[in-house]
Parts: sequence; structure tokens; C-alpha cells
Amino acid sequence: MGRKVQTQKLKKPIKEKRTRIRIDYSICGEDGKIDPRDCCKCLKVCDPAVFMLHSALDLKYKDPNDPQRWRINPQWGSLCTRCLKCVEICPEQAITIKW
Amino acid sequence: MCKWCFSHGTNGEKWYMNAKNYSNQLADEMNLKEYLTEQWQNYEQVYIRKVMGFSSKDLGYKLKMPIIGRVLRNKLDNMIHSEKKNRKGIRADGHFGQVIPLEDGKIILSELAAEPIICNYCMCRWQRRGEKEAVCINFGALSEVIEKLPRFIPKDRPVRLDREAAIKQLEENNKKGYIASVWFQPVPYINAICSCENPECGAFTLRNSFDFDIMYKAEYIINLNQDNCQGCRSCVSWCQMGALKYIPSMKRVVVITDKCVGCGVCRHACKNDALSLIPREEFPGYDGKY
Repeated sequence: MGRKVQTQKLKKPIKEKRTRIRIDYSICGEDGKIDPRDCCKCLKVCDPAVFMLHSALDLKYKDPNDPQRWRINPQWGSLCTRCLKCVEICPEQAITIKW
Repeated sequence: MCKWCFSHGTNGEKWYMNAKNYSNQLADEMNLKEYLTEQWQNYEQVYIRKVMGFSSKDLGYKLKMPIIGRVLRNKLDNMIHSEKKNRKGIRADGHFGQVIPLEDGKIILSELAAEPIICNYCMCRWQRRGEKEAVCINFGALSEVIEKLPRFIPKDRPVRLDREAAIKQLEENNKKGYIASVWFQPVPYINAICSCENPECGAFTLRNSFDFDIMYKAEYIINLNQDNCQGCRSCVSWCQMGALKYIPSMKRVVVITDKCVGCGVCRHACKNDALSLIPREEFPGYDGKY
């Protein structure tokens, strides 16, 4: 449709290190004490909105409002700016970031 | 005029001005009830569903992979613009939209949209910020589907809106600074007007960060009258896309036309009538750039 984002073409692409955001689902999620829908602090603190709240996929989708089935997922990890605000704000220290 | 105007518009009109795309008859023909129910029952999982066996978690990195990335992009592009018969609601095939200015939104809601019109919670804001805000306006076959799903229904206000209330609601959202957009769901049936914000909206994320054509720019573009601009900078903070910039040495605002999506929200901020929308094809060099 005539729209193309100009990307820098270098001969040797600079290898970006991937940001690995991990959320411990045994703390925040299915088996955890907190229902991610009540907390949502990491969602609000993140400027590029990396995280996404969703109902878990691998369990059978029958009741989407079942509190045991909600998770927070670092969906757009490539947008992460590595500011570590989410790590600081998480009340249960469920988030770890490595790169 | 974009590609979709030629395939789904009527002689020289935009696709969202074609009354046929809103009709109940089309919804019956396409057997949409099944598709929409499936889509909205599993709405929270659309973004994490697997594509080609890859989970779409960390999509940005996967798209950068040498060959797989290109295949994945192609596959996702086809999914977004799918017009095939075997579309699956669970993946939201054929679901994409376009930015519209408030005037066009008013025409849609007053003349074209099929009854009943409802107002429900925006799922993008809920999934990405944990905020429930009732800003989405849906109509036609979709509203009957959503009314049966209690988690989308706003608690503190009536769900069904008449046409006047819907227009008022859209205007209110637009004056808050939200970008109005109209949605195919699926092509060519139109049944939603959203009020989007830039990083929260899933479509804007996919467009701006990953270059998918899921949200097209409007058929208009902003034009700044340099003589009228006093350099008060009030419009700069209103632009969600970062398309307006204040230049201190000239004491006025400039428009970065590449970034402008033509939503017209900045006009609400301007007191001096300096900003106006003009059709995209009249703006030199921006015809056909969506």
C-alpha cells in the first residue's frame, strides 16, 4: 500500500541483545496468591505498555472470568526500554529482567 | 482512496461510507453470529495465540529472524486482511480499521450504523493498562453478541445508546484526545467505532512498532495555517502520534506529516483556527500513503 518504514540497512547488522522478561506464574498467576487483575501495577508503570493481561491459553477456555486463569505476559518484549520500573514496583518480586 | 475503498466502496466513496457494509442483510449472508461470538468469547487471547506454531509472545524478536521472520510477517499480513470463507473468529481474521475524523464518525453514527448501538469496555486499555473505560461504540450484529458477555458491559451507565447519545459519546471521547477509528470485523462488515490511544491500542502498536497494516491512516491530513499559528503549543500535547512539534526560534508549531494519521484531534486544542483537515490526495506527496 505504498507505505514502507525505512529501516537502516547496514552490512553487518548490529546484534541486539534480547531483553528477557520473566514473570513467575507461581507468584502472580494461576497458583499465586495475587490475582493479576487486582494489582496491575506493572501495566500502569510501563511507558511503552510492554505487558499484556490475558486469560491463560493452555487451560481449556470455558469460563474466561475464572480468577485462576489470568496472567500477565511480557507480550511486546522488544519494546522494553530496560528502565526496570516494573521490577521495582512489583509487590511480590515476580518479575525478573535479564539481557 | 485506499485499496479497500476500491473493493468495498461505492463509486468514488470511501469504504466506510458504503451503506451496504453496515446492513443486517450482509451480516446474515456472511453468517457472522458464529464468527463474532467465537471472537469475543476469547477476546483476551487474540494476541497470544499461536501463528505457524510460534507463540506471538515477543513478536518483535521473531519478526527479525532471518527467513522465518519474513514468512511470519507474510502469514500475519494475510491473516489481518483475510477475505476467505474459512476465517476463524478466534484469531480475529479480517479485522482491521482506519482512523476517521469526528465529522465522518458523526455521519456513520447518524445515518449508516445499524441498530442496536451499544457502548462497551475497551479491551485494549483493560489488557494493557488494567483500566476499564467504556469508550467503544459497537453496532449491528456485534452488539447483540456483546450484550450476552457480562465482562464487556459497563456497570455505571446504560448499555444501549440511541443515535444522538452515541454521537455525543464519540464527541466526548474525541475531545478527551482519543483517536476515532472505524473497524471491519470481518471484511467487509463494519460494526465498531473505537476511540484509541497510542501506546495502549493494539492496532497502533502493531502499526507503529511492527509495521503491519492493521490501522490505516485517515483519508485526511492536518494542514497548519502558519499565519494563524500563535505558538501557544497547546496542540502539541494533544497529538498522540508526536506529529506536532514546537520550534522555539520561529515561535510556531510545525507538522511532521509522515507521522500525522489525520485524526483531527488537535483541532480541539487550537483557539486560533490554525489547524484544519484537508483530504490526503490534495496534500502533495501524501496521496496513497496510508
